[in-house]
Amino acid sequence: MFKKWVTPLNVICILVLVGLLLLPRVLDPYWVVFMLLLFMYIGIGASFNITAGYLGYVNLGHYVFFGISAYGFAILYSKGFPFLFCLASGVLVTLIFATLISYPFLRLKGGYFALANFGLIKLFELVAGSLRNFTGGTQGITLTPGYRPFQTYYIFLATALFTVIVCYWIPRSKFGLALFSVREDEEVAAAFGIRVNRYKMKAYVLSSLFPALLGGTYAWYSAFIDPEVVFGTDKALLPVTMVMLGGTGTFLGPIMGAVFMMIIEELLWTSMWLPIWIKSLHLTMLGLILAAVGIFSPGGLVTLSPFTWFFNRIGFGRFLGASHKALNLEEG
Amino acid sequence: MLTIFIQLILAGVLQGGTYALAAFGLSLIFCIAEVLNITHGEFLMLGGLVTYILFTATGWNPFVILLIVIPLFIFVGLIYQKAFIKPILSRPPRQLFFSSIVVTVGIATAIEDTTSFIWGPTVKGVSYSMPAFTAGGVVISSLRLTILILIIVLTVFLHFYLKKTFLGKAIRAILQNREGAMVIGINVPRVITFVFGIAISLAAVAGVFYVLQFTIGPYIGLPLTIRYVAIVMLGGSGSLIGSLVGGLILGVAETFAGFFLGAHWSLAVAFLALVLVLLLKPEGLFKHV
Repeated sequence: MFKKWVTPLNVICILVLVGLLLLPRVLDPYWVVFMLLLFMYIGIGASFNITAGYLGYVNLGHYVFFGISAYGFAILYSKGFPFLFCLASGVLVTLIFATLISYPFLRLKGGYFALANFGLIKLFELVAGSLRNFTGGTQGITLTPGYRPFQTYYIFLATALFTVIVCYWIPRSKFGLALFSVREDEEVAAAFGIRVNRYKMKAYVLSSLFPALLGGTYAWYSAFIDPEVVFGTDKALLPVTMVMLGGTGTFLGPIMGAVFMMIIEELLWTSMWLPIWIKSLHLTMLGLILAAVGIFSPGGLVTLSPFTWFFNRIGFGRFLGASHKALNLEEG
Repeated sequence: MLTIFIQLILAGVLQGGTYALAAFGLSLIFCIAEVLNITHGEFLMLGGLVTYILFTATGWNPFVILLIVIPLFIFVGLIYQKAFIKPILSRPPRQLFFSSIVVTVGIATAIEDTTSFIWGPTVKGVSYSMPAFTAGGVVISSLRLTILILIIVLTVFLHFYLKKTFLGKAIRAILQNREGAMVIGINVPRVITFVFGIAISLAAVAGVFYVLQFTIGPYIGLPLTIRYVAIVMLGGSGSLIGSLVGGLILGVAETFAGFFLGAHWSLAVAFLALVLVLLLKPEGLFKHV
């Protein structure tokens, strides 16, 4: 009975989970913050992957959900409402916004969709900077400061886990099958009786939920947000860079991408041996990494042979495919 | 009131003309190479920057500098295409689209950041002025009038270039039927290379006109690209007339919004126009050339 469940994979997962739960007790606060940002990146990358990888619509403005929720949270929290109420209303506002905007946007094809979303995040940066008495303009909103890395660590861990579990579930569900067939060919999918628009909308709104949860909590954690922090160009490009780096459409891709991104950023910011001009050009580095990944490795890191070998070795091989469980049966 | 109205329309037409020049380049790249070139606005910025540098260094007439900028940016466009676009062109259409967005967004960010690092984030303008004259109570700047005339000349030239020369005919053939053009022996990759040259030099020319009228900063590129995409969607892709009309509509709308609401709302107007067109007429206002 138990033999069936004691696989190397399950043991690894449980050990990692227990390790992550105990980590803040043993770790330096600096690394707690590092891990917390890593969870944030994983949550954002994995939820970006729902639309970009599974549905095939690259959403260049994915971070806008994070920002809307963060602003919603901050505006209410600064008026003195309790934490959970602010978070819930921030998320709710984001979900309503995603539902409304999905109607015109999901009628756009591929690149137009991507660019319209990019325009959306730039527009929000402008609007948040202009509505001075509502969002505090370019000065941003400052909340009552507090030292909250440990609570945030657990909230972000829970959210990242939630995202990862949903992303694990999608390629094994009927919902995921619909998304993958829409990605392969919309007209054929429609001809087979899939309600294409409804599924696209569901995927878009679902993908907006996780950045919304993270955004509200992030505003609480950092106690300060301004248009640049939540709607800036580097933020808009972050999920794309991460997921393309890791591998679009795969389960492991966004997680690997997030880990690599954190390591790259950490090295760029903290290492002493790098000349100062490289640090000032950190956006250039980000852009060039993005371009290099697009040119040389469109499948991302997970398709490189050392990683494929490693993941096959520890029994993760089935997470490397970029397709639905039911669609690649013939491949074995 | 009427003179203000006429003045606003004139300014809008001028801005729209500048938009249309660059947007037509984007539209050509989009239709011929099936690549969404997000770096387009950056080349406008770079064109303006080259003009600024040459103007402050030598003090030449900006319209003379224009004659240097055009061949320079044809060259830049060819190199850009060889280095970044050619490696991804052989991919299947959907993957090409994704890759093109990823690659060009990355390069656009890199260009913005490097420009801001080298020349600083402050805005720059070319202080070159020509005497203004008054016609029927409306003040007309002769600088702007010259630019308008140049834009018209360039558009007419482009029109005849597409209709009469071999390369122009090849471009139109690919627009109408890609496979057919390949069958009759048009070298499509070669045409794509030249299209990048033409399109990017058009963006740079628009940049010269831009820096003469307004100021440029390192971060104007991406918002401009968004406007161009709005124009391409508004006018329908691959159509010179479509780009012109789309550009004029957007230019006039933005000028009016800027006058009555405040300058920072102009991108919101572009965005609104885009959403409206998508809701009402998703295929754009005009068909191909």
